[in-house]
Amino acid sequence: MTAARQNLIKVENLTYQYNGEQPVLKNISLEIDRGECLAVIGQNGSGKTTLVKHFNGLLKPSSGHVYINGLETGPLKVSTLARTVGYVFQNPDHQIFHDTVGKEVAFGLKNLRLPTEEIEHRVTDALEAVGLTGHYLTYPFNLSKGQRQRVALASVLAMHTEVIVLDEPTTGQDYRESAQIMDMVKKLHEQGHTIIFITHDMSLVARYADRTVVLCEGQILADGPVRTVFARPELLAKSYLSPPQITLLAQGLGKHAIPPDVISVREMYDLLLKARADKIGCCC
Amino acid sequence: MAAAVEYIHKDSLIHRLNATTKIFWALFTLVCGLLFNDYRYLLALLVSVLLVAAAARVLRNLLPAIAGLSVFALILLLIQALFFDQGQVVFHLIPKTNYLPVTNYGILSGVAMAARMLSLVLSFLVLLATTRIQDMVLTLVEKFKMPYDYAFMFMTTLRFIPTFLGEVRQISDAQKARGHAVEGLNPFKKIRSYAPVTVPLVLISLNKAENMAMAMETRGYGGGRRTYFRESKMRGTDYFLTAVLLLLLALGVTARVKGLGIM
Repeated sequence: MTAARQNLIKVENLTYQYNGEQPVLKNISLEIDRGECLAVIGQNGSGKTTLVKHFNGLLKPSSGHVYINGLETGPLKVSTLARTVGYVFQNPDHQIFHDTVGKEVAFGLKNLRLPTEEIEHRVTDALEAVGLTGHYLTYPFNLSKGQRQRVALASVLAMHTEVIVLDEPTTGQDYRESAQIMDMVKKLHEQGHTIIFITHDMSLVARYADRTVVLCEGQILADGPVRTVFARPELLAKSYLSPPQITLLAQGLGKHAIPPDVISVREMYDLLLKARADKIGCCC
Repeated sequence: MAAAVEYIHKDSLIHRLNATTKIFWALFTLVCGLLFNDYRYLLALLVSVLLVAAAARVLRNLLPAIAGLSVFALILLLIQALFFDQGQVVFHLIPKTNYLPVTNYGILSGVAMAARMLSLVLSFLVLLATTRIQDMVLTLVEKFKMPYDYAFMFMTTLRFIPTFLGEVRQISDAQKARGHAVEGLNPFKKIRSYAPVTVPLVLISLNKAENMAMAMETRGYGGGRRTYFRESKMRGTDYFLTAVLLLLLALGVTARVKGLGIM
């Protein structure tokens, strides 16, 4: 093990199969460094959730290895790995069981056996981060689903883990709620957390991720900067994905003035202005 | 364990049989299991159930269930061996003392109890693994004249066991990811440490029940006499096998009356 340049997460030839059936993941190798913001995309059943569940030891490889901070996950307990890798599940109702939001958020911290003042402190901070200040004593089931999702997120945030895995954090949220959640994720990323999220929403990938991994039938179809991956629509189509509309527009406009890897409206706007100034054929 | 009470789609003679025949078979196994208490008869019954499972090609799917049940079978065996004090003492559970004698009859009746339990439960599991829920409801209502509400309730309960096992797995994953560990040997602590799993499970279940009630109402549940799309049809094989089962049952009862198969 080279201690000098150690990846935060390292996946080597990972194959996973649920008892005796067709493998869900086939020979996956992947390295994730500190401070990355990675989006995992792919159609349903492509193995996204199965892959990220290996990062906190909920699943153990059928063959191959997964290392977190250089330690192999095989013999480690999930509750031990939970100190390094936080995992926000799709459905908050699978975890909420306390009668107040505050206690719910404190649950993970109590499992880490932190001192009481520290717990109080972190709970308050986490609730503030997710915009639920003042709901400390609220009964969680009186909150909306979107708010409960944020309670779940806060309960993981409060654990201050190096890595935060989010499995479809914006499913079932309206636009405003999704934006709130993702802005929070962005803030965490800026604070130095490594973020891994699963999503079906390509515009979220374009806006928030630096890097994306495309899974298709248990294999990595593409892995690289979001821009590079979106510039190859034919590859994405194999996994029934399509780049954000602004990228499609850029690709439709032709090769002269507009590059095929535009991923934001702002960028497109600047390029179009420039093209008009230069009087380039495609768009005057 | 999740697969244990689910319909497993395969093409086999047993799968093609009418649900009525299979229900008869399960009842037949139940009656035979209760008629006799000789370990040889009950072991034979167990073997017959396993043979049917093999013929239905679901034996492999039932292996996890069999493994789980074997634990209970062992406990039954142990309890019988401990508390049955007739017959010859084979050995003492605490060696070189006179405490906790285990007798030959104790062991044999333990084996009988274990075989009985395994045959009854497994025959039921084979029935469920080889019969579609719709067919079962149809048969229970049409042939066995069970009120539809009861048949529906019974089947829904079975239908939801695998669903709930799935929920349990997801919930315990979510709690483990927050550093929760079911640990320690102290049974009270252990029970308390299950609360993070049981509370969300109950809440989710209530929610599911409410949703299901609404879904049922929107689809016209309880709106009058039901008709059925599928028909429950007995074929030649079904009549033949039912006749064989009845014959065997008559033989079994006669044997029992004559005092055979009893220790």
